[in-house]
Amino acid sequence: MQIKMGIFLCDCGGSLKNIDFPKISGNLENLEDVAFVDISHNLCLEEGTRAITSRVLTENVNRVVIAACSPEFCERNFAGLLEKLRLNPNLLSLANIREQCSWAHEGDVTGKALELIMMAADRAQLLQPVETKEIAVNNEVLVVGGGFCGMKSSLELSQLGIRTTLIERESTLGGKLRELEGFYSSQRETMIKAVEKEENIEILTSTEVAGVEGKIGDFSVRIRKGKKETLRSFGAIVFATGYKTEVAAGDFPLKPGVNIISQERLAQLLQAPTPEAKPDTVGFIFDLSDENSRFPTLATLNSALTVKQRWGSEIYVFCKNVKVDSEGAEKLYCEAREQGVVFLKFDEKPTISADDGRVKIEAKDVLLGEDVTLTCNLVVAEEKFLPSEGTKGLSSLLKIRTDPQGFYQEENVHLYPVSSERKGVFFIGNCRGDLGLGRVLTDIFSVVAKIRELLSPGVVAEVDRVKVDPQKCVACLTCIRVCPHNAVQLVQIDSEKVAADISQLACDRCGICAAICPAKAIKFEGYSDEQILAQIKAIGAS
Amino acid sequence: MIVAERKPIKEIIQMIAPYKKVLLAGCETCVAICWTGGEKEVGILASQLRLARSKEGKKIGTVETTAERQCEKEMVEELRDKVEGVEAVLSLACGAGIQTIAEVFEDKPVFPAVNTTFLGSPEGEGVWLENCGACGDCFLDRTGGICPMVRCAKGILNGPCGGTRKGGKCEIDPDKDCAWVLIYNRLEKQGRLDLMEKYYPPKNFRAVKRPGKMEAIKA
Amino acid sequence: MNGEIVAFCCEHSAYVAADAAGKQGLHCPENLRIIRVPCAGRVDIIHILKAVEEGAVAVLVLGCEDGLCQHLTGNVRAKERVKYSETLLKEIGIDGRRVAMFNLAANAPHKFIQAINEMNERMKESGEEK
Repeated sequence: MQIKMGIFLCDCGGSLKNIDFPKISGNLENLEDVAFVDISHNLCLEEGTRAITSRVLTENVNRVVIAACSPEFCERNFAGLLEKLRLNPNLLSLANIREQCSWAHEGDVTGKALELIMMAADRAQLLQPVETKEIAVNNEVLVVGGGFCGMKSSLELSQLGIRTTLIERESTLGGKLRELEGFYSSQRETMIKAVEKEENIEILTSTEVAGVEGKIGDFSVRIRKGKKETLRSFGAIVFATGYKTEVAAGDFPLKPGVNIISQERLAQLLQAPTPEAKPDTVGFIFDLSDENSRFPTLATLNSALTVKQRWGSEIYVFCKNVKVDSEGAEKLYCEAREQGVVFLKFDEKPTISADDGRVKIEAKDVLLGEDVTLTCNLVVAEEKFLPSEGTKGLSSLLKIRTDPQGFYQEENVHLYPVSSERKGVFFIGNCRGDLGLGRVLTDIFSVVAKIRELLSPGVVAEVDRVKVDPQKCVACLTCIRVCPHNAVQLVQIDSEKVAADISQLACDRCGICAAICPAKAIKFEGYSDEQILAQIKAIGAS
Repeated sequence: MIVAERKPIKEIIQMIAPYKKVLLAGCETCVAICWTGGEKEVGILASQLRLARSKEGKKIGTVETTAERQCEKEMVEELRDKVEGVEAVLSLACGAGIQTIAEVFEDKPVFPAVNTTFLGSPEGEGVWLENCGACGDCFLDRTGGICPMVRCAKGILNGPCGGTRKGGKCEIDPDKDCAWVLIYNRLEKQGRLDLMEKYYPPKNFRAVKRPGKMEAIKA
Repeated sequence: MNGEIVAFCCEHSAYVAADAAGKQGLHCPENLRIIRVPCAGRVDIIHILKAVEEGAVAVLVLGCEDGLCQHLTGNVRAKERVKYSETLLKEIGIDGRRVAMFNLAANAPHKFIQAINEMNERMKESGEEK
């Protein structure tokens, strides 16, 4: 088809004074394939829209080049406008003559501006339309993990009418709600009842994920209960697998036993109807080895208040810093102080020893400037906040990376918090790290909003933006192995051939596969080899 | 699959020094899969040769192409037009491919741009390991599917040698796994450890009369 | 080309940083030509070599900081490819320092300008300005 190109130049309200627009226009007008060159003052405003509309509709161009501000600002608007004018938005090529040209240099930059426009024009010559189409998706959701987070998100999803399957590997729902005190324990029964009542939620206990194949909108999940495995289909998967805590045994010279217990054990004791013997003095210690988490502070404050309430013991907290940088923490701390909980700040590690059936703590309080010795009936030890049992295995099953501590993806700021590199697979709550209740709730509402967006009927995706040519594909599996989004699968093309196939919904358009394919079988429309080379060749050519 | 590696660039440049127009012919099968001689590598080598030649103040005309399988005469025949327009052919295929293209176009000098190194399989991204020696007398039935002739540094048939290092590594090359440890573990998994107690006589290295020839029934 | 530097800029980091540099009025060498890519991992060896063939004084690939690539491995792969391109150039007697990879974040326009200036300096030193 004969290329007919329309070029629009914008001088940004007349402010790009170091570019000679008429000169550029004169240079471009005479080029083959160029139907017109228009100079405008404000392409982004209504006058610009009118100019583009009238030109595109009357001149029947099939390629549009716009030289204006950064595509980061204007690409979406102009692409949208072209789509309305029935011109495929991918046939638009932009030249950044403002931020990266006029604003970037002193003096006249007409030469560079012309070159940038030529680069865009040469690229435009090679652009092909990219169509969009509706993709049918399975809009059922799998939620893995029946704790607070899993249950709450299932409730939210089901209230939007989304059929949810909630699986839990233990025999009952609840997760850590079974162990924690305060706010959490009160939620337990209400939530479980609510979840069981919902028609849209299918609950499967004593069940685990054995394997996940497929892509967003079309996942095949192997679910295992005991020895039996079933294959189920889902459109999206939400993992709320939570965390576990472990006493940092190395910090305590005595073996954690009757007198030195974990927060979990304390919670169990507090839940018992009649305690064997109420301890007179209870000591809490944290910040012995790891100061990074705010979890020990919160757990200690919650437990201390409960101990005061149920047992009335004297409570002493030894720590380096009381970390109140989460919602509600400062309030808890003030309440604890009011209730008479004593906080002692140390710099050097306290010495912990046994003393006639009780635990003796010797520390130097830096605020008092004095050595303090305390003998407690019960000491509650610091715990590490870790990913729950089985996270490592699950992450390799899913081919999802974890951070150095083993939590899902807390570090990469580019991945919006609850999403993962595998589209359609989400992680919420404390399996992402020590979040605190506020952020856990944010995660839940985030993921519900995202799923609603991704799985609504009439989901539209670009077709063949990144495409494998099955004739050139040698099935070397390289693209399948390197795709960071697990978007490529091997499919049977016909009776003779297998080739790689890229899922348009799961593909995140990075182009890594297109670069690495040894047979050059993958074309990334908009950033193909030819389209990139055309830009290189245009430099210095005029 | 066949694994090959690109020759040192100086060797390649010297080979084609007398020529002004050269065809670079890759292959879309084994060498493409091991990232040595596919369309991508043809492009890279051609670019290097052009840059190197222009550095001498001269030029070289390059034509880039690939054959689907360079060891098939019919597929190589498809390159005839391109071959006729050049003075020489630089092949990035394995030895079998190079010789085929040389035979089909007998009047054109054909040069190897790669060294064919071994038969192997991929082990993770970008890594290929040799695992078959094409000995013509396969005894993988006895070794749980692991070839000690190739994968044992000493090539022994009644291993292990007794020098295995800690962690099951080879005495000769500590980066390699001891093949006989691998064989033992494999046979143990399959409950066939009795095979390790059998004695196997020395290998018959004349099992294949070289150069090899195979004739199948033309039915 | 006539003394230009070709910079492949990842749209998540370097391209935005380049915009910011313009906005902040940071002085940028005029011989810079930017090619926008969706990820540094899209840039391949052949793009770098062809840019050198076309006469680029220097070729840069700019991507996200370590560990922050939205596509996880894009910037790591780009670095490997740039390193390999250096080797390929050195092999045939061309200064490998003519190609380089820089990592930066979108909010670091000063780093962007620094990278461009560094390449210009390098090539001036090596005498291979053309």
